[in-house]
Amino acid sequence: MNEHDEILTLSAIAKNFGDKVALKHVDLSVRRGAVHVICGENGAGKSTLMNILAGIHQPSAGTIQLNGRAVTIPDPITASRLGIGMVHQHFTLVPSMTVAENIYLGRHIRKYGLFSDRKAMTGRAAELIERFNFRLDAEAPVRSLSVGQRQRVEILKALAFDAELLILDEPTAVLTPPEVDELIGIIDGLRSRGRTILFITHKLREVKAVSDVVTVIRRGESISTYPTATVSETDIARDMVGRNVFLVGRGDSAEPRRFGAPVLSLDGVSVTNSTGRLLLDAVSLDIRAGEIVGIAGVDGNGQTELAEAIVGLIETQAGTITLNGRDITTASVPERLQAGMGFVPEDRLDRGLSITMSVAENLAATNYSRAGLTRSGLVDVARRDEFASEKIAEFDVRGAVPATPAGQLSGGNMQKLVIARELNRDPDLLVICQPTRGLDIGAAEFIYSRMMAAADRGRAVLLISSELSEIFALSDRIGVMYSGQLLKVLDRKHADEVGVGQLMNGGVTAEAA
Amino acid sequence: MAGVLIGTLKAIRAPLAAILLTLALGFVLVAFITDDPVQAYRDLLFANFDSVGNFALFLNRATPLLLIALGVIFSFRAGIFNVGGEGQLYAGAIATTVIGVMLGGLSPLILFPLAVAGGILAGAFLGWIPATLKIRLGVDEVVTTLMLNIIVLLFTSYLSNQVIRDTASYGAVSQMLPASIWLPDLPGVRGATSGIIVALVLAGVTWLVLFRTEWGAQLRASGTNLRFAKSVGIPADRRIITAMLVAGGFGGLAGALYVLGIGHRFEQNFSPDYGLVGLTCALLARVHPIGAVATSIFYAMMINGAAYMQISTDVPRSLVDLLTGLLVLLMTARPKLKWGRS
Repeated sequence: MNEHDEILTLSAIAKNFGDKVALKHVDLSVRRGAVHVICGENGAGKSTLMNILAGIHQPSAGTIQLNGRAVTIPDPITASRLGIGMVHQHFTLVPSMTVAENIYLGRHIRKYGLFSDRKAMTGRAAELIERFNFRLDAEAPVRSLSVGQRQRVEILKALAFDAELLILDEPTAVLTPPEVDELIGIIDGLRSRGRTILFITHKLREVKAVSDVVTVIRRGESISTYPTATVSETDIARDMVGRNVFLVGRGDSAEPRRFGAPVLSLDGVSVTNSTGRLLLDAVSLDIRAGEIVGIAGVDGNGQTELAEAIVGLIETQAGTITLNGRDITTASVPERLQAGMGFVPEDRLDRGLSITMSVAENLAATNYSRAGLTRSGLVDVARRDEFASEKIAEFDVRGAVPATPAGQLSGGNMQKLVIARELNRDPDLLVICQPTRGLDIGAAEFIYSRMMAAADRGRAVLLISSELSEIFALSDRIGVMYSGQLLKVLDRKHADEVGVGQLMNGGVTAEAA
Repeated sequence: MAGVLIGTLKAIRAPLAAILLTLALGFVLVAFITDDPVQAYRDLLFANFDSVGNFALFLNRATPLLLIALGVIFSFRAGIFNVGGEGQLYAGAIATTVIGVMLGGLSPLILFPLAVAGGILAGAFLGWIPATLKIRLGVDEVVTTLMLNIIVLLFTSYLSNQVIRDTASYGAVSQMLPASIWLPDLPGVRGATSGIIVALVLAGVTWLVLFRTEWGAQLRASGTNLRFAKSVGIPADRRIITAMLVAGGFGGLAGALYVLGIGHRFEQNFSPDYGLVGLTCALLARVHPIGAVATSIFYAMMINGAAYMQISTDVPRSLVDLLTGLLVLLMTARPKLKWGRS
């Protein structure tokens, strides 16, 4: 292979943060014009590696070669001068500014060397959008854009400065399924224009859909590199986790499952917001003991409100909510949790955790009495930390001791904390939203097994997810929310992804059988 | 127990380092002003220990500072930016005075607890107003607590000038409280209020409540992430209001103990801004009750020592204000300095 076919070569990269080893030994060579996926579980070191390339961190050991020359990348400005563009998972855009202004933020095109030349910037931005076929309005304020569109602005920001090598850090984590397809199209387009793309993900489906080459990283080491065409998802998963994984769903048992009495009943539940808009429109639903009901839908169609109305975080304006035969329509959140509910909110940073409090205190939050963490009115710190250690081990929360502030954990590990806390009380009804958002397969497999075990013990589970594959893998019945309404609740056996997908867009499909 | 010790050390390490650095920089400044900077500094810090009288005055300043700081810690831990320490202090002081003066005929066994309770309740009431406004109507607590300070200050001026004024005395002071309900002196330190013992014990209690009870954990959860607190079934609104009742109660107690142990009567504008300085003590201690003991003592030393320094050298006592500014600057700059990095 000609040396110049390789745009980037990393040899024996290592990185320590204090005593913590983030990267042990990473070798990587990226071919020019390829889409190269870096695949690994949460905490494997993917983001650290990319931050080294972007000039945010410095490697503790090892060398970086760019176009055959050894380089050091002391800061992000150097990285961008070297032709490395980074698109972060969380966007860094100014909502009130236009697309063009954001693209040229901090590097405005100047007129007479002094004034910002808006017209030139807008023109150049439009040209750029045209060239890469991004379908954006250069003059639209970023505020008015969808998440997928905002991401395209981020990508343009990197492209505007002639990035040869584009790094996308978990770009699909924030996107809906159609937006993911669109992103994959964009990546194909960039590749055909000769750009090299490093794509970080832990979702196997994307690996197959997008990449030419895949490198698996596990616990700070590069484990294997394959041409994507010749490797199976199972092999990648095995390398990521370090053992064979089986992401099995609930499947169909030989004899039909028997469900108990309804644990949760919603009857005509409506929620209106302060401006009078109907967020939940007369939703009726029963969830029986031993049953997992999945609610699919595009984000923002009332799923969040459904969960919050059930848990009691928002007031309902009509209808009744019954838990185990008891009317809890006006009960407070603590009363409902006490009566046997568990709640895993969709956003762990928003409702799931207090990031400044310790792992132990976050785990203990709903478990003081149940887990016996207090003694004569005082918190038994030794017992609390022991409880936390047990949960950390049981749920394989990486990088945590009881005293670690929760905010220092990676997203997937935070999620494990929330789920560990809520499952500890073995609630009769588990309301679980986006359970595996940002989780790797190893962790998802584990969470799935815990949810299925809960159902097998006769608990009721309400699963709200925007991942259709997850809904289909786990649910006994599938409901679709659209514009505040629960459109239809289908038996999983009679539902298919195409039909449910149509319902998610508000379309109507003929119910099978 | 070792864990507690390490935790405490960690909590006070940061303020301690900042204090030392402030003093070092301050020394350079003092050297410009006076020919004898060593003398000035010695007086500023150690004249407090020259005589029993000086030491007593120093303790009498530390007591209200520490109590107010503890109250502030409760409210800040619950996520309420309570800057009403001064008002709560005055409310407590005036309530205790009014009860003590008006009901002077009662047996001290009844009058003393009544006067103390009155002071605490008055302060708590002053904490309750902004908390309720915040929870029910979303009114910003910084504005309400600040404005309440002014209202209470003027109201107490009116009372001490018109209603309970001691007409035989010079200045706007109330009549004396019956000596039977005065707090005894600290054993062995003539003129020092035994209120300092109360304050120190309460610092320990505050730590215990905040960090070793479920109630404290719920309060801190509400303060760090309100939406999280509500999701895990914490009655966060109630916790926040209670935290402000406690915070106000601490301010009120500071006022009550001041009147009972130090002033023995209400004097108009008696506080040299204890409310604001107490707030500074709490913040410099990183909102930690044990750290607040250290910062309150340090501040009391400086405020009291400045008087001796001014007498013996030509350094003005307003040097303390300058040092305060430096200290705040250094504390907030600390994260960038990355001390003790491994």
